Amino acid sequence: MKRILLACGAGVCTSTAARVKVEKILDANGYKGQYKVEQCKIAEVAAKSGSFDFVISTTMKPEGVKCPFINGICFLTGVGVDKTTKEILDLMK
Amino acid sequence: MSQILGFFSAIQGLGATVMMPIIIFIFGLVLGTEKGKALRAGLTVGVGFIGLNLVIGALGTNLGPAVEQMITRFGLSLSVIDVGWPAAAAIAFASTVGMVIIPVCLLVNIVMIITNTTQTVDVDIWDYWHFAFTGALVAIVTGSQTMGLIAAILNMVIIMVIGDYTAPGVEKTLGLPGVSLPHGFTGAYAPIAIVINKIIDMIPGVRKIDINMEKVQQRFGVFGEPIIIGTALGLVIGAVAGYGYGDVLRLGISMGAVLVLIPKMASLLMEGLLPISDAASEFISKKFSNRGKMYIGLDSAVGVGHPLTLSVSLILVPLTVFMAVILPGNKVLPFADLAVIPWMFVLITPVVNGNGFRALVNGIVVLAAGLLISTNLSPLITTAAVNANYTLPSGAAQISSICDGANPLTWAIVRLNDFGWIGMGIVAVIALGLALINRNRILKEARELKQA
Repeated sequence: MKRILLACGAGVCTSTAARVKVEKILDANGYKGQYKVEQCKIAEVAAKSGSFDFVISTTMKPEGVKCPFINGICFLTGVGVDKTTKEILDLMK
Repeated sequence: MSQILGFFSAIQGLGATVMMPIIIFIFGLVLGTEKGKALRAGLTVGVGFIGLNLVIGALGTNLGPAVEQMITRFGLSLSVIDVGWPAAAAIAFASTVGMVIIPVCLLVNIVMIITNTTQTVDVDIWDYWHFAFTGALVAIVTGSQTMGLIAAILNMVIIMVIGDYTAPGVEKTLGLPGVSLPHGFTGAYAPIAIVINKIIDMIPGVRKIDINMEKVQQRFGVFGEPIIIGTALGLVIGAVAGYGYGDVLRLGISMGAVLVLIPKMASLLMEGLLPISDAASEFISKKFSNRGKMYIGLDSAVGVGHPLTLSVSLILVPLTVFMAVILPGNKVLPFADLAVIPWMFVLITPVVNGNGFRALVNGIVVLAAGLLISTNLSPLITTAAVNANYTLPSGAAQISSICDGANPLTWAIVRLNDFGWIGMGIVAVIALGLALINRNRILKEARELKQA
């Protein structure tokens, strides 16, 4: 079970958009039921990151993140999704 | 126009929790989403609405009486509860203007792109609610939904131009190439920051000041966590209200719960809107992405992570509460929207070029003014909430929000409408003037691009 933290400004809007897309990608690659996603505010990432396998964020990387960090802005713009998808799938292995 | 709005206000009579699922379902079908998906999206939005209503209710029943006691004990005049932007967004989408805002704003965006008055393809459908919010308040002031809709459109035009204008700064300081932030709340602070920045530039000595904010994030980090800030505020308010220790603790835990739960409910609302927003943004970006230099318009949440933005916002959380208490004329008790302060700074940060001192000065000015603005707009916001069938916190006379309730641009547009058509005329002239200036810039840039 991989624990994924999905962060954006408030943990509401853009992280929801990214979460739905990330879940679709993971399910399509056979990871259904093997991951758990939690959304949060970017300001909470430093404190929470310790207990997660990696974090995907739709905003900049803050200081003090204790796990791998993936920039997920592509899930909003639609540009460069393939590269980020590969990064995520590598971390799922 | 009035017939279409009439049809929508008939559906609106059923209440937001019934109306929104129907509207989202219909939009979904129109945009070609499959039936089951559209239905689920509509129902999810309904769930979000009911969830938000419950949480705001919990906020009211717990905080309302405490605030009342606090007022009678100390003569504090903080009788307006800040219910936060998720509630404001829900109220905006549930208004008559809000129901038609998504297709209308898409149309405005398309017209602006075709006429070269914007370079932004705004795929951030969710944040159209800011324009609906302005529109809903104007509709209350003028008594005319058509006027409300016009105000919403003009608000969007102004914000789109600001989005284009600030895009180079967003690329340079925030590191987001090809992205602009046409965000109704964030955008309103860019012109103010430009003015304040110019003023500071003119003062000898002061213009050299900079404060290093690096360490702030570690020290003030707790102010970024809703569970801590909610609980702490609850405890303080309970104590000030003169509650016994049991009730103080209960209020603390309840307020922490409210701040944690509000975003979760808003997230459901967002999830329901997602199929609509995806279909709409796909439609618009497919049609218009190949027209020279274009920006993709995103939620300014993508820029919230800038270290300066986060640091200054964290410092301003306790400062805002303090200002609310001492500022003469303020009636707003800042609460749910203390989490929204970073959004103010997303465009201020590029304007002040990462200068910590200037960001802080900006923050104090806009928040102090913001408290007075949201006090001023609170009767209208309360009416809008009643129109949307929201349960108002008992005990609290009125509600407001620090987000768009304290937005200077929203305030200006709404209050200019106190003067009737003249006011709307002024807004229209400004919006169209900005659009034309933007058009000249875009065409000039396009010519230079061709020559190069």
